[in-house]
Amino acid sequence: MSEPRRITSEDLALFAMQLLSKEEAAEVAAYVALSTDARRELAEIQGDLAIYAHTVDVHSPPAQVRERLMKQVAREKKAVPIERPVVAEARVPEAAVPPGTIFTESGAIVPSYVTEEIAPKRGIGSRVLPWVGWALAAGLALTAGKLYYEREAMREAMRGAMTAQASTIDRLTADVAAARQVTDTMTDSSAMRVTLTKGKTAPAPQGKATYVASKGALIFLASNLEQLKPGKTYELWLIPAEAGGSPIAAGTFRPDERGNASVIMPPLPKGVEAKAFGVTVEDEGGATAPTPPIILAGE
Amino acid sequence: MYRETGLVNSPPPSAQDDAALLASVHRGDESAMASLFDRYSKIVYSVALRVLRDPASAEDVLQEVFMQIWRNPNSFVATRGSLGGWLAVVARNRSIDALRRKRPSEQVDDMALASNYNLADEAERNSLMEKARGVIRLLPMEQRKTLEMAFFDGLTHSEIAEMTGDPLGTVKTRIRSALTSLRKAFTA
Repeated sequence: MSEPRRITSEDLALFAMQLLSKEEAAEVAAYVALSTDARRELAEIQGDLAIYAHTVDVHSPPAQVRERLMKQVAREKKAVPIERPVVAEARVPEAAVPPGTIFTESGAIVPSYVTEEIAPKRGIGSRVLPWVGWALAAGLALTAGKLYYEREAMREAMRGAMTAQASTIDRLTADVAAARQVTDTMTDSSAMRVTLTKGKTAPAPQGKATYVASKGALIFLASNLEQLKPGKTYELWLIPAEAGGSPIAAGTFRPDERGNASVIMPPLPKGVEAKAFGVTVEDEGGATAPTPPIILAGE
Repeated sequence: MYRETGLVNSPPPSAQDDAALLASVHRGDESAMASLFDRYSKIVYSVALRVLRDPASAEDVLQEVFMQIWRNPNSFVATRGSLGGWLAVVARNRSIDALRRKRPSEQVDDMALASNYNLADEAERNSLMEKARGVIRLLPMEQRKTLEMAFFDGLTHSEIAEMTGDPLGTVKTRIRSALTSLRKAFTA
């Protein structure tokens, strides 16, 4: 039989951080349960870790998280336990109890002579029929009880599902609000857009495309664009990486008075890897194929 | 995401202590819950964000930790240490669980935590943060890095040994030594 492993304070530190394997953790837990010193040391280590956790850079959670939490808190209102006054057992003074009185489980006081009363003789029918009635009543009670518990279980499951759904809706609402804020900021014509360049060179027209091929998601932001003649529009093109693939139109746009423009999430097929992006000038309404020259291009 | 020192934009300190707030939460007082959130949400969120490096996931951990308090305020027993410290460690553990896609471990929350600090007091909390950061900055680089990998990245000592090429024993000793230095600095 092998000797049990010696548990060190180093093991306790790893145990506190949940970094041990299941077997090692069980071994340490068993040791901690038996040793007061180990429990004390473990508490000290947890205290050390709490201090260490406070070395993190502090960030404030977004405001909508508090709102979401408080909504869920309101939804999961507590059933506050009501303290009921304890009803004192009604005691009957001994002197008032006549001799031979019997106390039943319900607390009723029954004079003993009632139990001594001789029951009248009954026939078979009169003896069986009451039992049939009781059996039926018991059956009904069992069925009703079962139905009650089934209904309660169903209600509980539904309550859980509704809470989970409401939580998801809150989360999605918050996500949508955040996404909307991002989009609004990027597309707001009054937003300040600054292009940082080296020295005092005049900023040249430029565009930045962010593309996730697997989702067909594209965000394109352009700045310092020249104004177009009436009836003309800029058009963004996705050049597929696949050999021989035709350029895919990714949206038309006109710059605002400050030369800024954006194309946010144009309808694009999913899964098309891009080799490059380009911008051309087309007639209003867009073209089916890019018309040279390419104003902006990037790979 | 902006950084803070924890000294600004914080809610005003409340006269109510944590135990009183928890008792109110137990009675279903939603405003007490809001006060606890205002007091500790930053540290819980920051720890979760550091571990998970993803704001949405950190928000989920934040929500989960505080809903745990609402549903079961008894999960923290005041005699076990400070609520702020307990929350910081629970946030870290929940985040590591999320990182490993693991179900939360009950055993981990049921922990005693030795602490002499009143983290409900914002000034004391900020002072502790600054002091702890100072101590960690002074640790030898290897110790600092190893503790960070274990605590914030949730890497096991074997994984750390594999990544750094250091012997297992050295990794364990570094973690322990770093924590010991931290404790000494705070008990001195």
